[in-house]
Amino acid sequence: MISRFLTEVNTKFNPFSKQAKAARLFLTFLPPNARATGINIQTTLLPRQSTEPSMLYLKFKDGKEMNIDCEKMGIKSIIEEVDRHSRVLQKQADLTDS
Amino acid sequence: MPPRLRCPASASLTASISRSAVSSRPAMLAIASTSSTRSYATSLSSKSSLGGLRLPDDYVPPTKPPTARPPEVRKAQLLRTYTSLLRSTPLILVFQHNNLTALEWAAVRRELRLALAAISSNPDDALVTADVKLQIIRTRIFDVALKIVEFFDPSSVAPVKSGSNKNRVYNHDLSKAAYKAIKSVSEEPEKVADTAYGQLSPLMVGPLAVLTFPAVSPAHLAAALSILAPQAPAFPAPSRKKSPGYYDPTVQNALQKLLLVGGRIEGKVFDVDGVRWVGGIEGGLDSLRAQLVYLLQSAGLGLTSALEGASKSLWLTMESRRSVLEEESKPAEAAAEPDGEKKE
Repeated sequence: MISRFLTEVNTKFNPFSKQAKAARLFLTFLPPNARATGINIQTTLLPRQSTEPSMLYLKFKDGKEMNIDCEKMGIKSIIEEVDRHSRVLQKQADLTDS
Repeated sequence: MPPRLRCPASASLTASISRSAVSSRPAMLAIASTSSTRSYATSLSSKSSLGGLRLPDDYVPPTKPPTARPPEVRKAQLLRTYTSLLRSTPLILVFQHNNLTALEWAAVRRELRLALAAISSNPDDALVTADVKLQIIRTRIFDVALKIVEFFDPSSVAPVKSGSNKNRVYNHDLSKAAYKAIKSVSEEPEKVADTAYGQLSPLMVGPLAVLTFPAVSPAHLAAALSILAPQAPAFPAPSRKKSPGYYDPTVQNALQKLLLVGGRIEGKVFDVDGVRWVGGIEGGLDSLRAQLVYLLQSAGLGLTSALEGASKSLWLTMESRRSVLEEESKPAEAAAEPDGEKKE
């Protein structure tokens, strides 16, 4: 996953629900030095009885915000979605560099 | 995607295995040097096995050669490790770790050890502290181990009659019986949902680490929580003056990536708040027991006083009645006596 262009990751999930899987796995795809490279990561754990849907909110360097529905999407499609925008930003960055 | 490091599951168990492996190595070498006794299928030179029409006990089929993997990373060994861990450990905390580096793991374990050492003053506490381990687990194998511990009862396995060994019982965790037990359960998902495994299984996702305590000791749990998942009022992080190492950027980075997701305490499943509640029991189990004893004693006192009260009040009324009667009879006697005198 291209995580260079992310500035903010907010997740909220109840680990005792099956639907939290995608949100939890998304956190594992961030690199070890993600916080040092300027990504603001916040995780909120919901209590066990709560039925609130799990939430994943992303913000990119160009200001685009993404609210991803973790209940329906699997981790693969989430990453696809994030990479689709990241590749656009990468292309722009490459063009401005050269 | 960052590279993923596979770390050995349990430092302690790995150490114990390697110790035993070292001790058994001379024996293994001895077997290897006298390998003419071992019969491979390709070397049919041994005449003794031909005559008896029975394969020797140490026969190694050519399609299943002995594994070359070290024992501590074999899946079978891991599964046995995990089942024994689950059976013997009353208090397990489950953490999700998001790409911690090896350096960060070392730093976290160091801080944890220091914090636990600070509270273990008497020998009992020190015993608990010695066996508190933070270890990375293979999630899927741990999941299977949880199933085996929950649904497989080794004592219910019937002995096998056939074969040369009569009445052999194959009820180990890698046995066919264990496999069948967990297979039959996974076909009925609605039954599983109420069990401890059903509650814990949604946690078994992604990279996990478990913190295991050999005894339910709220003091140790509180110390571990204040390091690994600090929360301001109840479990404050150690002060900068007391443990400067905790504010090392390596440790702080690591703690941001460690996520406490739940726990299993004496067979029951707790979420983060439940774990904190257990950690907040002051004075440990002994104080709980003392509270219970006090409760029972005071209840007994109340009961005896309540039971006593009825008879006491009865006695009091009877006594007062008697005194009243006596009072009444005295003047009557006093009045009767002069009458009698008059009569006489």
